[in-house]
Amino acid sequence: MKAIKGKPFFRGVRLAGHKVTQHLKAECLPPVAEVCIPLRQHLGAPAVPLVEKGRHVKKGECIAAAQGSVSANVHASVAGAVVAVEDRPDGKGGMQPVVVIRADDTQETQYLAPLKDPSKEEILERIAACGIVGMGGAGFPTHVKLRPPVKVDTLIINGAECEPYLTCDDVLMRFCREEIVRGASYMAKALGVENVTIAIERNKPQAIAAFEETSLRVVSLKKQYPMGAEKQLIYCCTGRKVPLGKLPADAGVIVQNAATALAVCEAIETGKPLISRVVTLTGAGVKQPKNLVCPIGAPLSALIAACGGEQNAVKLVAAGPMTGTALTGTDAVVTKTTGGFLLLTDRETNTDPPTNCINCGRCADVCPMKLMPMQTEFYANAGEYENAAKYGGVQSCIECGACSYICPARRPLAQAIKTAKEQLRRKKA
Amino acid sequence: MNLVISAAPHIRAPRTTKHIMLDVLVALLPAAAAGIVYFGWAAAVTIVLAMASAFVTEFCWYIVEHKIWKNGKETFFAFFRTFDFTSLVTGLLLALCSPAAEDALYMPVLGAVFAVAVVKMLFGGTGKNIVNPAIAGRIFLFISFSAMVAYPAAAFGPLSENDLALSTGATQLGNLLNGDPTLSALDLFLGTGVAGCIGETCKLALVVGYLYLCARGVIKWYLPLLYIGVTGLFAVALEAFDFAVFLPSVLSGGLFLGAIFMATDYVTSPKSKLGNIIYFIALGLLTAGLRKATGIEVVSFCILLMNFLVFLIDLAVKPRPFGYVRQKKEAKK
Repeated sequence: MKAIKGKPFFRGVRLAGHKVTQHLKAECLPPVAEVCIPLRQHLGAPAVPLVEKGRHVKKGECIAAAQGSVSANVHASVAGAVVAVEDRPDGKGGMQPVVVIRADDTQETQYLAPLKDPSKEEILERIAACGIVGMGGAGFPTHVKLRPPVKVDTLIINGAECEPYLTCDDVLMRFCREEIVRGASYMAKALGVENVTIAIERNKPQAIAAFEETSLRVVSLKKQYPMGAEKQLIYCCTGRKVPLGKLPADAGVIVQNAATALAVCEAIETGKPLISRVVTLTGAGVKQPKNLVCPIGAPLSALIAACGGEQNAVKLVAAGPMTGTALTGTDAVVTKTTGGFLLLTDRETNTDPPTNCINCGRCADVCPMKLMPMQTEFYANAGEYENAAKYGGVQSCIECGACSYICPARRPLAQAIKTAKEQLRRKKA
Repeated sequence: MNLVISAAPHIRAPRTTKHIMLDVLVALLPAAAAGIVYFGWAAAVTIVLAMASAFVTEFCWYIVEHKIWKNGKETFFAFFRTFDFTSLVTGLLLALCSPAAEDALYMPVLGAVFAVAVVKMLFGGTGKNIVNPAIAGRIFLFISFSAMVAYPAAAFGPLSENDLALSTGATQLGNLLNGDPTLSALDLFLGTGVAGCIGETCKLALVVGYLYLCARGVIKWYLPLLYIGVTGLFAVALEAFDFAVFLPSVLSGGLFLGAIFMATDYVTSPKSKLGNIIYFIALGLLTAGLRKATGIEVVSFCILLMNFLVFLIDLAVKPRPFGYVRQKKEAKK
């Protein structure tokens, strides 16, 4: 269908794209010797390991089972021997439980049987069995999201990809259009909805053109950050506002990432669990930026080697530059939610020290949630978290980082809001 | 690799405080040029003296605060890295709202030192001051040397190119409000033959600066208009709806300079959009009311007074996030 123009949301910022890998097809990462698969790649409880050291596993075999209602299975992404089940550094300053598999030459695979014309329950069971989670970044288990507590009428496939640098969803939408459409139709069937919309920012004209030939309703969105945030996306596509403190389902909408739709299609039609994904490795600190198809658990060092090595990088970032986490080293691994890794040089990133707030109000001018970040930071720095919530707003922050981005005094506003949120949560508990 | 670890976001907008302050300086250039054209070399000397003494004051403050004589050269260069041009803006603004007095050139120096040292640096530097330094400096001069600032004509004789005896904006204003206009609205707008402070007579130059600031996104376009408009309309209302006083009351005195450059000062105006609208409307009402009551120019006093109320306005205006649902009122028992 012909693309419809989506409306802009309030405020937000315009960012330079830096999407240099936009025109590159995804390449396969050369085989890696060892993968280190984290057991917690999703929101909720970590998965419980089903394998022990020394056991041989096949590619696609379930190595850890979901625990509790919000959790997801984890599968082996290569065939080989389990060499360790232990806690390892996660590259973000903490430890995480992992299963380490040393790849061998057997190349044995163990996928589930393909489903033909599946029913609603079969689709949901298959998505749960294949450990599919939201691949946009949050990692909410998809089978849980597809069982909303209230009746919904719209499914939005999120192809906004508003973060600069990242292009993993863009290449998927361009080159795997049919799979995404089929994946979306399976999810629509599971939800029992008729309306399926795919939302794409206008800086991806080829992706928009590709979907205009399909039966999906296409919405072309203004290039505006954070367009891909759930609440903003729903407003721009449907005009509905998600009530404060409620879920998108309360506005009758479910949002799923384009990469998730592709994973759902593969899980149903080939029985392949979520064991690989497209990762963008980019930034001026890498010699040849690329889109790579990586097995889950592949180390960042292998990705950098596949892209010709690094040059003058001063910052490693997992995911996009606005919301991503700075890494402590190249031992970080690809997870289900990793859209990309950035190697930023001194020129691209900001290392200026913060100066005094001059009260210019730009942070409030760009806040897509209409909060007052300077007030929050003022009170949070003084340790008065209740006042921070009262005068600045804390709980409704979507942590997009637009306030810190725009601040002419370089103050870490988003960080202060996250601190206030965490402190208030601890106080409540 | 030596890696930097910091919280997201990892990219920043190119614009910093320095750029914003430079924009304000550029926007003030037309007004300064017009002042020099109308008032001669005394205006130029006043401007240079005020800016230089403001800069030197901040530099001396930095030396004392950081004990440069102990730490050596690095701190010396660190000053120039951290210097954000706010002192220069303060100095220039102060010069533009003081008279061009060739026999009292110590005045801009004293005012600038007071503005930067006492009003700004003592409270913690840029962003920490409670009142606008330039306004406070002007009022300091007004109170200390009231004979010169209030009646510059008596102090230093004719200066304008039309060889008119200079009277202050306040006197001019008094004449106008008494229904005795000696100048047309166009004269007031261009500042030809108008007595007053260096930067406030030529409204055209100030409007050029206003357009520049709006185009660069430094100030919100509607706020100065709100101040000027409310002042004019309330003045009309106070004169029993005699619309003849609208243009004279809007175009005289330091209203344009105050509305465009002083009241919009980020540090001393409210944080929120609604708060700013309240602040500027209150300023307009206060200015028109006090002008009527006192018969002298009160823009700087009004801004000073409202600066003290900014904190209360900020406490009164609370954010209403996207998706906010109005709480239904509970049924009365």
